[in-house]
Amino acid sequence: MFDVPGRIYVVATLLPLAAFVVLLIAGATRSFYRPFRKQGGFAGSMYWICGGDKPLKTGAYLATGCMAVAAALGVYGLVSFLADPSEGSIRASRWAERIDWVRIGPLDTSSPPEWERQRAADTTRATPRLALALELGYKIDHLTAVVFAMVTVISTLIFIFSIGYMKDEAHETYEDHLVHERVGKVGEHHGDGHDSHSAAAHHGYHRRGRFGRFFLYLSLFCFSMLNLVIADNLFQVFVSWELVGVCSFFLIGFYYERPSASAAANKAFIVNRIGDAGFLIGIVLAWSYCGTLNIEELTRRVRSPDRDSHNTYELANQVIRVNATPVVGDAIPEYELPPIEEAGTGTHVLLFPLAWPDPTHFHGPGYGKHKDKSFEVPAKRDYLSYGVMPYALFVLMGIGIFLGCMGKSAQVPLQTWLPDAMEGPTPVSALIHAATMVAAGVYLVGRCYPLFAPEVLLFIAYIGAITLFISATIALVQTDIKRILAYSTCSQLGFMMLALGVGGWIAGLLHLITHAFFKALLFLCSGSVIHGCHHEQDIRKMGGLWRKMPVTAFTMLVGVLAISGAPFLSGWYSKEQILSAAMGYGLEHKRHILLLVLPFLTAGLTAYYMFRLWFLTFVGKTRDTHLAEKVHESPWVMTGPLVLLAVFSVGVAWGWPFWDAEASYLGHVLKESQPAFVAVQFAAEHHEAEHRHLTAGALALLLAVSGAWLAWWFFGWRQPAESEMYRPGGPGYRFLYGKWYFDELYDTTIVNPTVMLATVAAAADKAPTDKTAPPYVTLPTLDGILNAMAELFVVVGRSLRAVQTGRIRTYALTLALTAVAVLGILTALAK
Amino acid sequence: MNELGIQPFFILSAFLFVCGVVCIASKRNAIGVLMGVELVLNAANINLVAFARFNPAFRLDGQVFALMVIVLAAAEAAVALAIILNFYNNHATVDVDSADELKG
Repeated sequence: MFDVPGRIYVVATLLPLAAFVVLLIAGATRSFYRPFRKQGGFAGSMYWICGGDKPLKTGAYLATGCMAVAAALGVYGLVSFLADPSEGSIRASRWAERIDWVRIGPLDTSSPPEWERQRAADTTRATPRLALALELGYKIDHLTAVVFAMVTVISTLIFIFSIGYMKDEAHETYEDHLVHERVGKVGEHHGDGHDSHSAAAHHGYHRRGRFGRFFLYLSLFCFSMLNLVIADNLFQVFVSWELVGVCSFFLIGFYYERPSASAAANKAFIVNRIGDAGFLIGIVLAWSYCGTLNIEELTRRVRSPDRDSHNTYELANQVIRVNATPVVGDAIPEYELPPIEEAGTGTHVLLFPLAWPDPTHFHGPGYGKHKDKSFEVPAKRDYLSYGVMPYALFVLMGIGIFLGCMGKSAQVPLQTWLPDAMEGPTPVSALIHAATMVAAGVYLVGRCYPLFAPEVLLFIAYIGAITLFISATIALVQTDIKRILAYSTCSQLGFMMLALGVGGWIAGLLHLITHAFFKALLFLCSGSVIHGCHHEQDIRKMGGLWRKMPVTAFTMLVGVLAISGAPFLSGWYSKEQILSAAMGYGLEHKRHILLLVLPFLTAGLTAYYMFRLWFLTFVGKTRDTHLAEKVHESPWVMTGPLVLLAVFSVGVAWGWPFWDAEASYLGHVLKESQPAFVAVQFAAEHHEAEHRHLTAGALALLLAVSGAWLAWWFFGWRQPAESEMYRPGGPGYRFLYGKWYFDELYDTTIVNPTVMLATVAAAADKAPTDKTAPPYVTLPTLDGILNAMAELFVVVGRSLRAVQTGRIRTYALTLALTAVAVLGILTALAK
Repeated sequence: MNELGIQPFFILSAFLFVCGVVCIASKRNAIGVLMGVELVLNAANINLVAFARFNPAFRLDGQVFALMVIVLAAAEAAVALAIILNFYNNHATVDVDSADELKG
């Protein structure tokens, strides 16, 4: 255990799983023994031990405790990883392990003796596998360690917050007013919605509280997320990916009696499946061409080595493209580098051996004196020889993996599920749909960065730029406190994707970490507001709440400042890096100037909509007088995490000197695990960004300040009257309020045709039962055809039954005559 | 004895067989039907024994088959008579035409 410190992470990952299993077994036992609850004895006492009628809080404390220990281990792991003095392969072996899970090919025993000899000589490399296997493994590098610590710490804080926020669920009966309201709206009219609470107060939907179940799902989610973070291969990532997806589904649909919640859960799950289909395509391409799913091995396969055995290499860490040469007969196909003036073109990507036949002497491809210019690619793949992969498929592999990330990280055009996901409880929105799971897409892009061709990176950058702009414009006009934050999450994820696409690897992932803290803070603050306002989410009714809930108001102000990029708060460091990376890229490639304009514009918009949210909620006087009477500050179990998260939001990215955005300590830590090729491939852009970073910072600050000032002018100074807010706006306003009509577009182009197709299919299948159905269902149906066949056999059988007279004499005669006839025929044939 | 040939045996056997079949097909009395069955079986027996006599390759087999058929006939008669008895108990008649409960 202690000579492999990486196992700390395995323990920390399995702790939430243990909590999940315990809660699951307890819940199942409780349900099993429920019939015996009135009786004494073993069965009855088991029921009361495992919960009884009233939901126990013990499970929540257990889950929170497990998560807290995991967080302690995560932080300890981060510190000891950073302090680990070992280097190179020893470090790798201390912080990474892998085992076979399902082995498809033979083990190394069948390998040629030559191979054994080389492996014995080559101790500097991880043992390459000769045969295909699905593996389980973990690999800790700086990025993993930082993200792991971030996830565990935020999770712990959100678990604690949830104990307070979900306390209504710990009652024996929970009253869900929203179920009633949705049902009631059909029959009774609530006017403008002001008095809906008084009407519904006594008629909510009653059910048992689900306190334990909430923590059960959260624990499973945390396990999956941590497993995703530490995974060293794409398959394990994919498994965790689906697990976090299903946890997200469960938690969005936590109030599944509400039709909107179950619809949102389905939407999230289905939209994510679209992305995952792409991810699966990427994985299968990687598997079938590279023969491994281990990310580090995949990188070594598609990127040329750092150096050859002479320690010189002009094409280090490149994706090398080659052309096929004509082959005569059955000869082994050969590929060659294009002429030097066309370097970087070619129909195929060269796949490198995982181990060189002679580890002490190899050259690798290149144009130098001793370099290999043409390569033999044997038909039977092994990891000692070169391979090739068509360049189009290499691009497709990258796009496929990124499609998965687009789904999870809610990038346009798959962003529609995230705002709807706000139907879930607010701690879920904070943990899953802001801080961790949706950031998994960005994390995976960061992880698989070396597998992306330049075209894919450009695609990523554009998707990110479009997303960040569209989402920010939608957030400008929304009135639901959680929806604004949801669109802001989309937008910030777009910033991260953009940064990754334009070569700002550190910037994107730094923003991932800082955003996780301040967005979790913002969501928990909104949760605190919603809790204090008794489940009111419309900011048009709020206002002036800072007097009633000062802690929430001021921690949220910290979050708002951080996300807007106020200097010296964590968001400033990351956003400044992103914007200067975008500026560097945009100035270097004038054709892609859009990648420069959109993020700067959006930096201003971000400040505007976040301050609008804050001013409308906390400043002025409460517009809904009904609301004003009952608002209260949340208990310490909720405000405590807010304060801690606010501290993190301020200081998590600090470095020395703290007035220099480039000096962020977190950024330096992340730089350690930046793929080596980034600095080479984006050298010009980085140079430009370095050059312009003061300009970028000043411009961003100027835009943010003017955005914030506008928000203050409209909503802080010139307080709008209540009636003004409910006034319908112009077409532009309606366009933004309708979220660019993405949902309507998908309904028209995809959902409705699918439903129509299903209706037609159902109609073709089944005889119509509804006489008022449209005419096409009266066409001949499959049911009708099958019934006609059955009818035919009935008619034939009915006519044949006359033959069965039941008289023995008829049978005997028939028998005899048949025998005569058969004999006659046989005789005739014999002649 | 050899000058008799095999044909007369065939003729006798065919005659007996036809008698049996006609008996089965025309009798209304179940016992009569059973007697017709006996005739058919014995027609076959004559054939078998005749082959055993005239075909050297069939010497032993024919006899054994004939014995087998006799045993079979006895068993069949036992079963059939039991059925008839039961039928009589239920219907107070042995008329096969009234036994049409298996009509389709």
